[in-house]
Amino acid sequence: MKRFALLLLVLLLTACQEPPKPGAELSATDLLSSLDQAGFARATQPRDFRFPQDHGGHPEYRNEWWYLTGNLQSKDGRRFGYQVTFFRFGLTPPNTIQNASSWVGNPVWMAHVAITDAHGKRHLSEERLTRAGPGLAGVATTPFRVWTEDWQLRAEGSKFPWHLDLKTRAFSLTLAVEPGVEVVLQGERGLSRKSAEPGNASYYYSYPRLRTAGTISLDGETVAVQGDSWLDREWGTSALSPEQSGWDWFSLQLNDGDNLMFYRLRGRDGKDDPHSAGSLTGADGATRRLDLEDIELTPLRWWQNPAGISYPVEWEMRIKSRDRTLRIKPLLDDQEMDHTVRYWEGAVEVFEGQTPVGRGYLELAGY
Amino acid sequence: MVGSRLWRAGLRHQRRHTWQAILSVLGIALGVAVVMAVGLANQSASRAFELTMEQISGRVSHQIIGGPGGIPERLYTRLRMEHPYLPSAPVVEGVVRIGEEQLTLLGVDPLAERPFRDLTLDTPPAVLNQLLTRRDGLLIPAYSAQRLGLQAGSRLTLDIAGRARETEILALFGGRSQAALDGVLVTDIGVAQTLLTQYGTLDRIDLALDGAQAARLRGWLPPGVQLVETEQRTAAMAGMSQAFQTNLTAMSLLALLVGGFLIYNTATFSVLQRRRQFGIMRLLGATRGEVFRAILAEQMIIGLLGTLLGMGAGILLARELLWLVTRTINDLYFALTVSRLDLAPPILLTGALLGLLTTLIAASVPAWEATRSSPQSVNRRSVIERRSHRALPWLLLIGLAGMGGGLVLVQSSERSLLLGFAALFCFIMGYCLLVPSLVPPLSRLLQRPLASAFGSIGRLASRGIDATLSRTGPAIAALTLAIAATIGMGIMVESFRDTVGQWLAQTVQGDIYVSATHSASQRASAPLPDWLPSRIQQLEGVAEISSGRHVTLESERGPVHLLAIGLASRSYRGFRFKGGTLPDLWARFAAGDLLLISEPYAYHQRLQVGDPLPLLTPDGVVSFTVGGIFFDYGSDRGLVVMPRERYAALWHDAQITTLGVYLQPGQPSGPLLTRIKQLAGQAEQPLRVRANREILEQSLEIFDRTFTITRVLRLLVIAVAFVGILSAMMALELERAREHAILRATGLTPRQLLGQVSLQTLLMGLMAALLAMPLGWLMAEILVHVINLRAFGWSMPSQLSPTILLEATGFALVAALLAGLYPSLRMARTRPALALREE
Repeated sequence: MKRFALLLLVLLLTACQEPPKPGAELSATDLLSSLDQAGFARATQPRDFRFPQDHGGHPEYRNEWWYLTGNLQSKDGRRFGYQVTFFRFGLTPPNTIQNASSWVGNPVWMAHVAITDAHGKRHLSEERLTRAGPGLAGVATTPFRVWTEDWQLRAEGSKFPWHLDLKTRAFSLTLAVEPGVEVVLQGERGLSRKSAEPGNASYYYSYPRLRTAGTISLDGETVAVQGDSWLDREWGTSALSPEQSGWDWFSLQLNDGDNLMFYRLRGRDGKDDPHSAGSLTGADGATRRLDLEDIELTPLRWWQNPAGISYPVEWEMRIKSRDRTLRIKPLLDDQEMDHTVRYWEGAVEVFEGQTPVGRGYLELAGY
Repeated sequence: MVGSRLWRAGLRHQRRHTWQAILSVLGIALGVAVVMAVGLANQSASRAFELTMEQISGRVSHQIIGGPGGIPERLYTRLRMEHPYLPSAPVVEGVVRIGEEQLTLLGVDPLAERPFRDLTLDTPPAVLNQLLTRRDGLLIPAYSAQRLGLQAGSRLTLDIAGRARETEILALFGGRSQAALDGVLVTDIGVAQTLLTQYGTLDRIDLALDGAQAARLRGWLPPGVQLVETEQRTAAMAGMSQAFQTNLTAMSLLALLVGGFLIYNTATFSVLQRRRQFGIMRLLGATRGEVFRAILAEQMIIGLLGTLLGMGAGILLARELLWLVTRTINDLYFALTVSRLDLAPPILLTGALLGLLTTLIAASVPAWEATRSSPQSVNRRSVIERRSHRALPWLLLIGLAGMGGGLVLVQSSERSLLLGFAALFCFIMGYCLLVPSLVPPLSRLLQRPLASAFGSIGRLASRGIDATLSRTGPAIAALTLAIAATIGMGIMVESFRDTVGQWLAQTVQGDIYVSATHSASQRASAPLPDWLPSRIQQLEGVAEISSGRHVTLESERGPVHLLAIGLASRSYRGFRFKGGTLPDLWARFAAGDLLLISEPYAYHQRLQVGDPLPLLTPDGVVSFTVGGIFFDYGSDRGLVVMPRERYAALWHDAQITTLGVYLQPGQPSGPLLTRIKQLAGQAEQPLRVRANREILEQSLEIFDRTFTITRVLRLLVIAVAFVGILSAMMALELERAREHAILRATGLTPRQLLGQVSLQTLLMGLMAALLAMPLGWLMAEILVHVINLRAFGWSMPSQLSPTILLEATGFALVAALLAGLYPSLRMARTRPALALREE
């Protein structure tokens, strides 16, 4: 879910609180926040997911993303986190404008790529933002391909493994991912409700544990790495409700094979929103839904960015049903993504007491 | 002490000769006004172009441009994929019209604009959203909106290639007083493609590169497109209209030259009138320097008044000229909107300095004259006359040297337009110095017929001119220059028009022509529907058809016009070649290895028959050979002609821009014209079907339109000349008041005096007209064969038009007659004794 309203929420916030910056730069966020929902399909009912078709695009819904995060390490023990995300934002519902121009009525795509280098204590990230235009960005089912300019996520045919081959100014990333656990439909058979309002929901599925291997090139050096990734796929048309101010999202891959996803929606009143939810998937693929009562979250430590914004980067998570208390620590404090949209997305280590029991990714938005 | 008296005496003199003073002021004012007006209009046009390009180009250092078909937009995709870190943005650009006004439609991708332009920066998100999601939304500069009476939310109908397109103004941008972007409509790239029906292609890709990146990118680019530096391309575009603007400036300087002569004249008279006074002052102890300074100061005040007045008038006049200059630039060169006069301080300063400097030079000659003579002799008229006659040989020599120098300069300056003008001015000044020497023989020549016609009055009139050469000489020289200027410019325009008329008659060989109305693309004319040629060919009475495709190839040296033609058998007659051609011209032309180039193209590119000429095609550079150079007056940028099949194959463009229909012999064109119009009516876009004659008429109309500015300038020069003649003659006759009083006292009736004075001024007008004819003709020769060639690359025969000569003579005589009227009437009213005492 997390990624769900990521942008739009931030957008709404900036739109409410700040007047447009005078003359600074084109505000893509403002643009995206002004998009109309009318004419787009809405997620109201559970649907039948069909793969590999559903790996492709759903242009009848306004927003959609392909969200890969993962924890990797080299043979000599260097620890890395990585994030590769493709966002699609529809400007107009498909087929409402008949036009021969490749620029008219097509979506805007935004892609984020980041790595966290624990050894070098740095978080590097870059963005691509473009309209689909004449093939500048898009998604295809066969062979499977999602791309934004030169960055792409692709498969040979329509099946796994998926390949990433990305270059940024500072590093490049060549990875192949393959499911270790089958697909998990989040929420109610893949329908993830975000608020009480009907249709304020999205379709959401995950691959909670993708076996990952490849290389990371950094500082002229290419390092072979392997580890686990997490894929989130989500599409829908709605945004957060006005009472919601942000979220804290956890995806944890525990050493005992459990995979835990939980998002806590924060209300403007400072309380947790009752629509906060998650799932717990075992190594065998058996999934159990989690809701607000199942999880207790306590921020332990805050990190302040140079602009003065504080993020809760260290947490205590109590899973009541399992009677486990996890301590979640960032690989690095500064894993902030400061691009068209600003949020904190970072690799974390999971401890139980003093014992490391897993790894994961944490997303903090709306701060 | 004497000095201050000199000053007061001067002031009193001017007050007593108000008319003379007013005419002096008027003369310099007109001269300055014309120079300023042309300068300001030119400057405003150039500045508007510069500013608009600056805003449109923004921080664009380089541009990728393609052939007539533009750039396939997939190239932009490839560029983004393979060079994601080079800041780049796609641009679609077209020409649209609102009524008669041409505007630029700029289609951009707001998401890619950030590195380049600030046009869409302040746009509120909701408007940006509309811009991206609607099909008819535009942004318009606040300045243009105010001018056109539009606001956000207004519907706006654009004329795009003859079709009306409905649009809506989403928002305004820029400040209300920011004229730089006037005439530029900004929209989303998708909307621009839709409005211009230009799908799948871009007009250019804007880039911000450093040298190394540019070099790397050049290597990466596929054939058929090129990377050019924005500055170079803009300069090449600005250079297109440079020759035209230089011509205007030179012509305005001619007006100032005439004005300068005028000042010289009036200053001379006003000094001569007071020679007694100065003599007395000198006797009373005024030094030469004091007298010199007093005269100079007095004339400088007149010059200053004239200059100030001229600056004011110049600014008013510039508003009118600006419109004409802009229209000509739009007709001939590129779409440009100039709605605001740029009151550039350098131009204002130059105008003022020119006015004052001209006055200074013109007044210092007589001032120096007045101080040179000894106090006793200054009193005696005969001394001056003797001296001025003595000076004649020197003037003759200097004049001949000036003319000779001008001719040498013409020969030696080869291609320089500015030196060409310098030579012209040298030549003119030389001739003017000759004039005083030519006056005595001319007056002797005229003496006998005049004496026999008018008796002693006639003799008196003609001999008086010779006898008072010190004053009549410069006056006639000034008249001659003024008349010659109007003759020269007149002949030049007439010759041009005649040549163009003949050329059109020869070039337009077909009976009926079909073309699309104006194009929205800056590179290619609007195409005709592809079914049209065969349908017309099948019509009864049609013998054959010719076809043409007119496109503009981009290059760093500016655009090259290319005409690809499918010739009918009669079309060959349409070409008249300059000099020889290669053997088997038409056969080899049809085979495709030869090109024909127009005379201006050959001149500008320094090409000769047989030279290689490489052209950039979509698949890379192809080299052709120049087969012949033909006369063409359609474009001063020049034209390159090749067979249509060859063009179609090389540029992958089989479209047709014009169709020429050749009828079977004896076939009346009327019914077929109607039939073809019906056929053309079935086309989606409006087409123009015109008979041969109609094209000739319309082309000449356009010619006349573009030459309106030249005609207006000629009228202005005539106006200055008229004031010049009026004031010179008037001064001359007023100065002779004493002489006239003596004549009256010796028994001449007021009527007879009126006759004598009028006859004399008429005679001077006639002399000036006679002397102006050769000068005017020679000026025209230089204008046609040197200036026109250097400015535009056109050669043409010059034609001496009797109408222009008669017109000039008539105007000289009328001005002279009018000028004689006032002094003689005044004299007739005054009692001779009073006049004698007064002076």
